[in-house]
Amino acid sequence: MKRRTFLQVLGGTLAFHKHVFAAAPADQFFIFIHAAGGWDVTLWADPRNEKLGLVDPASTENTDIAPLTRWKSAKLDGDTDTFEILAPSDVALRFGPGIGDLYDLRHRLTVVNGLAMNTVSHPDGTSFSATGRHLAGGHPPASSIDVAIANELGTGQLLPDIAIGFPAAYVGDHLDRRAIPLRVANAGTIAKSLARSDAYFKADDRAAITALLSDEASSLAARSTYPETFERVKSQEDSLPKLLGDELKEAFTAKALTAAYPQLDYKAKYIGQGALGAAFAVEAMKRDLVRCVGFALGGLDTHNQNYKQQAHTQQEIFGTVATLVKLLDVTPHPSRRGAKLADHTHILVFSDFCRTPQINLSGGRDHYPNNSALVISPRFKAGRAFGKTDREQLLPADSGLTFSDGPRPISPPDLLATFLHAFGIDPRIYLRDGEVVAEMLA
Amino acid sequence: MRVAILLLATACTAQTLAPSAPQPLPAAQTAMIDTTPKARRRMVPPEVYLRAYLTWFGGLVPLDVQNRAKPKGLFDAWDDYLAALGLPDYKIDLPRQSQSNTLMLATLGRLGEALCVRAAEHDLHAKTPLDQRVVFAFDPAGDFAAGFDVLHRTFLGYPARLAPPDRLARFQALFASIAARHAGAKQPLTADETAWAAVCTALVQHPEAELY
Repeated sequence: MKRRTFLQVLGGTLAFHKHVFAAAPADQFFIFIHAAGGWDVTLWADPRNEKLGLVDPASTENTDIAPLTRWKSAKLDGDTDTFEILAPSDVALRFGPGIGDLYDLRHRLTVVNGLAMNTVSHPDGTSFSATGRHLAGGHPPASSIDVAIANELGTGQLLPDIAIGFPAAYVGDHLDRRAIPLRVANAGTIAKSLARSDAYFKADDRAAITALLSDEASSLAARSTYPETFERVKSQEDSLPKLLGDELKEAFTAKALTAAYPQLDYKAKYIGQGALGAAFAVEAMKRDLVRCVGFALGGLDTHNQNYKQQAHTQQEIFGTVATLVKLLDVTPHPSRRGAKLADHTHILVFSDFCRTPQINLSGGRDHYPNNSALVISPRFKAGRAFGKTDREQLLPADSGLTFSDGPRPISPPDLLATFLHAFGIDPRIYLRDGEVVAEMLA
Repeated sequence: MRVAILLLATACTAQTLAPSAPQPLPAAQTAMIDTTPKARRRMVPPEVYLRAYLTWFGGLVPLDVQNRAKPKGLFDAWDDYLAALGLPDYKIDLPRQSQSNTLMLATLGRLGEALCVRAAEHDLHAKTPLDQRVVFAFDPAGDFAAGFDVLHRTFLGYPARLAPPDRLARFQALFASIAARHAGAKQPLTADETAWAAVCTALVQHPEAELY
């Protein structure tokens, strides 16, 4: 090949790669929320208010309706009332009373119903929802969605992926080490780990120690048969001084976050400190420090009399999501002038599975291999529900969508593949199963 | 027929087994052992790290370490750090972490700083006799290399002279820069004591202390 031809080919290849990388949306943000414990979908996304087949709807006998803002009673039988389904005329969605304040943002919601879970185990359902794979030997065999996104779009960020009680999984040798999720139990831990006393060492001293450790890691990497681990430590040491800056430490304390975002309900009765995760997400995105934040809002595992609070717990979870979206609506994007964070932030909310349609002998609902999920993203068709369940058993039914293997329900890998595809990421790199559901994308 | 007789005669020939003197055993061969690493280094399990940490602190129980480390904001409570250190938290279904991350390094740094500053106060500032010292069991006014070797053996488990040759100089430069920065400053430790605490802090969170 002549030199000129070679250079032309090389130039063309580089230009192609440049185009591909330029298309990657590097200024988008992602929030993943795990509604932990398994939610009763008949109380929000797939509402049921009549006794039919296995379905025993929520009623005044099994639900504490006093705190529910969206509960409107309808006659069930005898002295027992159930709820009136919320069926707004402006969107093709129906809700139960658990949706709470998120109902006001219905035109921005994409609901996925009838997700085929094939499991009723908490860890397995959580893994399937987050990674698209069932557990193997008790461990997730694939990386979770947040790690995939962080690996593709977040490695330039100081904190590519923060997982506050979120089931993030980093699996595989082909991923960038910077995408390893920072897993913590609660948002306050982050500030505490970063806190330093100035009584003995000053910032300059710590910077010198960190620089020395970075040099040591580099020197060891150069001598090592497998340098990757030392290289990872070096890159982490290099980013430490920025993390230890006074401004960050102070911004991420529980006290500072609570003061900065008083709109969130930090005293919610059932979801614990989950709202602090939402506050952390907004603050970290506003400062352009993260790409993905995952957190958990829990308390949904209601097998017995505690089912009475399932709807209230859902109301707290969706209330937190609604407040989070409203905060993103008024928070400026850190790098796009004039844009709001909400225009470039994509939220996925999922649970382990759903709960049985019938009420058990203890007055609660057990685990059931069906599920629903929620997406709030400008890249998805909003105000619509995808997927179906059958009327009598609440099991996943043919979604009516086109899949290469014929008619079938949607499964978590399909949703995850669609989510990755929405941001120009090839799902095949991260997911063994799942097909992109083009109908879901805006 | 003649051939058959010949074969029969050959087959029937008696073999004599004469006794012989025992031969010396062949010399044992040296088996070559491949000592090259077969896997990447991993994080030391957090339990191992914590046990080592408690040992370095003088063999105290965790609660005592927590109480001793707390003053002047050096530490909070163990509960605050367990998840960041990679320990599983069964209350919230948080599994064990197998990879380090920046927050883990920050947490190890905070723990290391608390340990080393307190040890410097106990061993150096209080002028504790050498045989009762926890970490700095050497004369701090003596040769840097000798003191560094003691710390290197304590935290990394082998003599400093076996480490990569640039390590000693690197730590000596750290010592000198911090001692110079703190010279004359009004603070709880002298400049040299602060510098030794810094050397200790760097060794506690050294990649070789955290990985195996």
